[in-house]
Amino acid sequence: MTNSIANIKESDVIMVIGSNPDTSHPTIGLRIHQAKKNGATLLVIDPRRTGLADIADLFLCHNPGSDVALLNGMVHVILEEGIWDKKFVEERTENLEELEIVTAKYTPEYVENITGISEEQLRAAARMYASPGKKCAIYYGMGLAHHATGTDNVKSIANLAMLCGKLGVAGGGVNPLRGQNNVQGACDMGALYTTLPGYSGLDNNDVFERYEKLWEVKLPRRKGKAATEVWDAILEGDIKGLYCFGEDPVLADPNALHAVAALEKLDFLIVQDIFLTETAKMADVVFPAACFAEKDGTFTCTERRVQRVRKAVEPPGEAKADWQIFCELSHRMGYDMPYSKPEDIFKEIALLIPQYAGISYERIEKVGLQWPVPDQQHPGTPVLHIGKFTKGRGLFIPEDYTPPKEMPDEDYPLILTTIRETPQYNFGSMTRKTPEIETLCPEALAEINPVDAARLGITDLDTIEVSSRRGSVQLRAKISDRSQVGTIAIPYHFAEVPVNNLTLNSLDRLSRSPQYKICAIKATKVEA
Amino acid sequence: MTTVKLSINGAEIVAEAGLTILEVASRSDIKIPTLCHVQGSPGEAHCQMCVVEIEGQEGLVRSCVGPALDGMVITTDSAAISAHRLERLAILAETHFGDCKAPCNLTCPGQINVQGYIAHVAKGQYEEALRLVMERNPLPFSVGRVCPRFCETRCRRILVDEPVSINHLKRFVADWCMRHEIELKIPKDAPTGKRIAVIGGGPAGLTAAYFLTRKGHDVTIFESAPKLGGALRYGFLEYRIPREVLDYEINTILRLGISVKLSQKWGNDFTLQSLKDQGYAAILLATGTGVDIPLEIPGVVNPHTYSAMKYLRQVADGKNPDMGRRAAVIGGNNIAMEVARTLIRQGVTEVTVIYPRSRTEMPAHQRNIREAEKEGVQFLLMASPVTIVDAREQGSRLKLELIRMKLGEPDAKGVRQPVPISGSTNSLQVDSIVSSLGQIAVVDTFSGGELESSIAISPNKTIDANVRSSQINIEGVFAGGDAVSGPRSVIQAVVSARRAADNIHAFVMGTPKEEVESRFNFTRGKGFDDVDLKNFDGINVKLREKMPTRPPEICRQDFDEVKLGFSEKMAQHEAERCLSCGCTAFDRCDLKELSISHNLNINKTGMGTTPVYARDFSHAAIIVDKNKCIYCKRCETVCEYDALELGAESFDEKGRPVGLTLTFKENCVSCGKCVDNCSTGALNKKAQTIPIHTEPVKDVRTTCPYCGAGCQIILRVQGDTVIEVTADPEQAPNYGALCVKGRFGHDFIQHKDRLTKPLIRKNGMLVETSWDEAYDYTAKKLFDLKAMYGPDSIAGFSCARATVEENFLMQKFMRTSIGTNNIDHCARL
Repeated sequence: MTNSIANIKESDVIMVIGSNPDTSHPTIGLRIHQAKKNGATLLVIDPRRTGLADIADLFLCHNPGSDVALLNGMVHVILEEGIWDKKFVEERTENLEELEIVTAKYTPEYVENITGISEEQLRAAARMYASPGKKCAIYYGMGLAHHATGTDNVKSIANLAMLCGKLGVAGGGVNPLRGQNNVQGACDMGALYTTLPGYSGLDNNDVFERYEKLWEVKLPRRKGKAATEVWDAILEGDIKGLYCFGEDPVLADPNALHAVAALEKLDFLIVQDIFLTETAKMADVVFPAACFAEKDGTFTCTERRVQRVRKAVEPPGEAKADWQIFCELSHRMGYDMPYSKPEDIFKEIALLIPQYAGISYERIEKVGLQWPVPDQQHPGTPVLHIGKFTKGRGLFIPEDYTPPKEMPDEDYPLILTTIRETPQYNFGSMTRKTPEIETLCPEALAEINPVDAARLGITDLDTIEVSSRRGSVQLRAKISDRSQVGTIAIPYHFAEVPVNNLTLNSLDRLSRSPQYKICAIKATKVEA
Repeated sequence: MTTVKLSINGAEIVAEAGLTILEVASRSDIKIPTLCHVQGSPGEAHCQMCVVEIEGQEGLVRSCVGPALDGMVITTDSAAISAHRLERLAILAETHFGDCKAPCNLTCPGQINVQGYIAHVAKGQYEEALRLVMERNPLPFSVGRVCPRFCETRCRRILVDEPVSINHLKRFVADWCMRHEIELKIPKDAPTGKRIAVIGGGPAGLTAAYFLTRKGHDVTIFESAPKLGGALRYGFLEYRIPREVLDYEINTILRLGISVKLSQKWGNDFTLQSLKDQGYAAILLATGTGVDIPLEIPGVVNPHTYSAMKYLRQVADGKNPDMGRRAAVIGGNNIAMEVARTLIRQGVTEVTVIYPRSRTEMPAHQRNIREAEKEGVQFLLMASPVTIVDAREQGSRLKLELIRMKLGEPDAKGVRQPVPISGSTNSLQVDSIVSSLGQIAVVDTFSGGELESSIAISPNKTIDANVRSSQINIEGVFAGGDAVSGPRSVIQAVVSARRAADNIHAFVMGTPKEEVESRFNFTRGKGFDDVDLKNFDGINVKLREKMPTRPPEICRQDFDEVKLGFSEKMAQHEAERCLSCGCTAFDRCDLKELSISHNLNINKTGMGTTPVYARDFSHAAIIVDKNKCIYCKRCETVCEYDALELGAESFDEKGRPVGLTLTFKENCVSCGKCVDNCSTGALNKKAQTIPIHTEPVKDVRTTCPYCGAGCQIILRVQGDTVIEVTADPEQAPNYGALCVKGRFGHDFIQHKDRLTKPLIRKNGMLVETSWDEAYDYTAKKLFDLKAMYGPDSIAGFSCARATVEENFLMQKFMRTSIGTNNIDHCARL
């Protein structure tokens, strides 16, 4: 997030696109509800009618996967009506001409053809967000990123925000809601195939030299493989060994059966986890790990706030904290990592990563700090990009709309989109151990629009089979007009309904994110 | 910012303008009691507890609504204010209905959190259950076997069917932890440098040593016998407390770090003076009652007549004295029953207990009498021994002459003492006689030195010690256990010794004794007759589990344990029978806290006596008990979703609600904030079944492990178990708000499916292995792959759920140890 959660109450206009914070980030969803109650204007853009859509001032229910077209259409309208922030664009951005050229063809009529959104709605949305002089924030989630065009979607968001000058102000900003407790931290730490820690890339000699000097080792500069590309690499014989730390690709990865085939082909699989996950069952070695309550450390949350994690209880049996396992294994591989406690590691992080330079356990003892914190005196950065962008001028990078990879056809006439339920989390390995949560959300239900249901002869709680070209699952149906006609939404928390056996492992060309949110399916009633 | 200047309780305060008096006071750390106020949201309920006086204004003002104005002179405490608050509390208490503590807990001499450990058993948390017991009783193995079970006599389940088998559950958790070799990790304070001598290594001495060591003192136990245990070893033989169990129990205590000196006889090997000279800061006398009251009848001195303790000690030491075929036991106390049962096991075919009154008047526990009888012990009641004569010529070693007794006229106290029926002689041919007329601490005076002989002795031949301070008439010397009280149950010795340990701690540290816990207690009814049977509506009869026991005709043949202990399943079934009477909001109840601090006497002013409302279990995570509701409306005020409605049909003459309704609306997201803000136990988390009494609870601030919002949570930890999760309303970024996962979704932490050992694939199967093997095997395989196919043949997935530090190390490991940039994580998934 460029801005802070506490900023939500300062916004005049809140635009939520491709995110259902009520289920994915409940305490953030709550603040949006409260802001709306206190007078903020709420614009919701989502192919599915979410809880926030119910209370929105304006709700655009566009066709799945048509986000780029919609956002370009908004830019088109804003340029045409002259309601963009000329001062901001002139002082702080570049490449406006390119944006104008690319979005020229996204007339309301053209956009309506792709998105299903009327000119009236498109103009209303554009005006609502552009609102000159007002503080307008955008929140987006995986509904925007889980597409083969995920980066295009995100770039289009950035274009829109820069054009309207909504960055660098409290109550504004572009705010991705990150899914996991420490996904921000994992990215910051360079657990990425494209960059060393701190997003310094793999081509910066100065940075490499600093690391190599401190770590006393020569570091590889060849680009690595993305997690989502690893499966093909295994099947092609390029990758033989996999160290799988806290992940369960058997359930989590798109086209999961493809991942299973790859796992079976591996020479050597290490899994490090707190439970014997489906992936762990296939491993050659399983390391039992401590969970968050059994170790010290930090998590960096979606608002870039680095916060303490503290040990409350002992790990079960012989389980060890992950950091201890890495240290010992590395030692036996011949490379010493002599840390005696997580704080030692954090000190090294502060030494190497500029965004974390001013953070120490002492400083975040009571309240976490939001990076960048360049020095010990710096109070942290609740709002990014005030006055200027980190890299100078903001660059407009307009993209053209490309249709999703697998659209419905005669054989597979419906679209599947995966969703979350509030009580459950991800693949349920943690939440499903609590009976209260199971009571609240005991099973995966396929949410199907009444129109589709009637056509397919499906009534509430009928068992149906949902199939894609890659696999099929059986589950019960819930008739609801939250899903638009032609779309079925299924939560992915339940191992007994492994919905990722259906999803498409088609990847974004840059981020390599999979297109979880769209794949072509068919649904049939299973006769009892 | 405009400010106002005012005075509260004489302190000058400059505060932001526009705040209420309550807010200003709270920011200045001046506590004004309130039952209904929720920070940041003015509620509509008026508990009226927060009233204050303002100079120049008539009457009392509610500080939660009264604005703090410039120049105000405010008093938050005065006689008038207290009287008003007390009156308000009494009104609320009159209809508040429930039990603060469960009757079992209140009845237990050890005040053990019975409901708490049973709830742990029900959850399968046996280790935590044992730790909870051991907060107050370090002898769960022994007490779990021989306790008279005061608690079970008051168990409310009696009004439904049978009491919960509480003691068997205690034994179960102790035995389970022994079988599973659980290291209990009992916490210990930092060393104080004080040395303390404990004379006597029986239940009292061990208990005192345990609690004193936990306080950080350096304790030495002096024991006259070659082994520790005292009455546990010599008063109860193997068939009651197996030796390996006793040794394990004692070792658990000693492992805390206690010095032991065995075969050290007080008065011979050391004296009080010598201990003082060696620098012991305090001495505890815990010598028990190892001396038998002598049988004083003609003919008592012969090789075949024993005193009870002497006889039991010989058997315990494996000496196997020859008792012949027939034996008489004189006396009706618990030790007499142990003697009789031991004689049976020694192969004596006819064992007769002789007692001058009726069976019901025997001081032994009826349960012990029944057990003895089942094993074939006979009882000759209303009879008293007169003489013992040699009877070798009549086919037995001895003849015991007896006289029949009858109950005499009531004495001044109305007690009918037995008197002999003259001329009613009777005799018993026996081979041996054991007398158990009662046990005392000392015959006359202690010997050894001047100090010893000056110890004040009570008329009952026990050590005269102050009941409250445990001190005897010598400075720095304390006494506890049976040596003071005379023979009592083990748990009573534990309690006495625990008190003595507290007193010694205060004495050597020069600190005041920890305050005694208030006896304030709401109850559904003190006696069974006071308890409304409506309390048990909907509870089905479910009889108690029967303790697996070896049949008497078999177990009388040897010294093996008679009672075999519950299986895990039985323990689970039994624990589920607990009615959970006590309030799980015990440690957070504001009504109770304020009632105590205002000295409200509910026994005089009154409390609810019948359940008006049925408890409501319909919410997925919350139990509602409106009988405890005081209509403070915090639940409604604090709900950020406007998803809870508290209402009443009408109000009585004192303003209390009648016909309460509490509704979770459809938009309730089960975030649980209402429960954490309830001022009583009207709202409870379903999963929070452990009432916290005085046990230490650690609040650990940490970050929620679920989504990326970064909510700050507080893990409440008892022992080594997370028992609930809450949030701090003042902490960014969530300011007290949590979702259902954040507040409730943490059962996974201590779930039985957690991985506990490294696994390695052998012959196609994953099997447990050591860390060493797992590391070495992994390092070798990675090394080989690297050598054969290059570092890029290995890829790593990091974990967005693990910490920043661990992600940093994972990528560092891949880039250094392996040498590849094939490192990624699920950010995209």
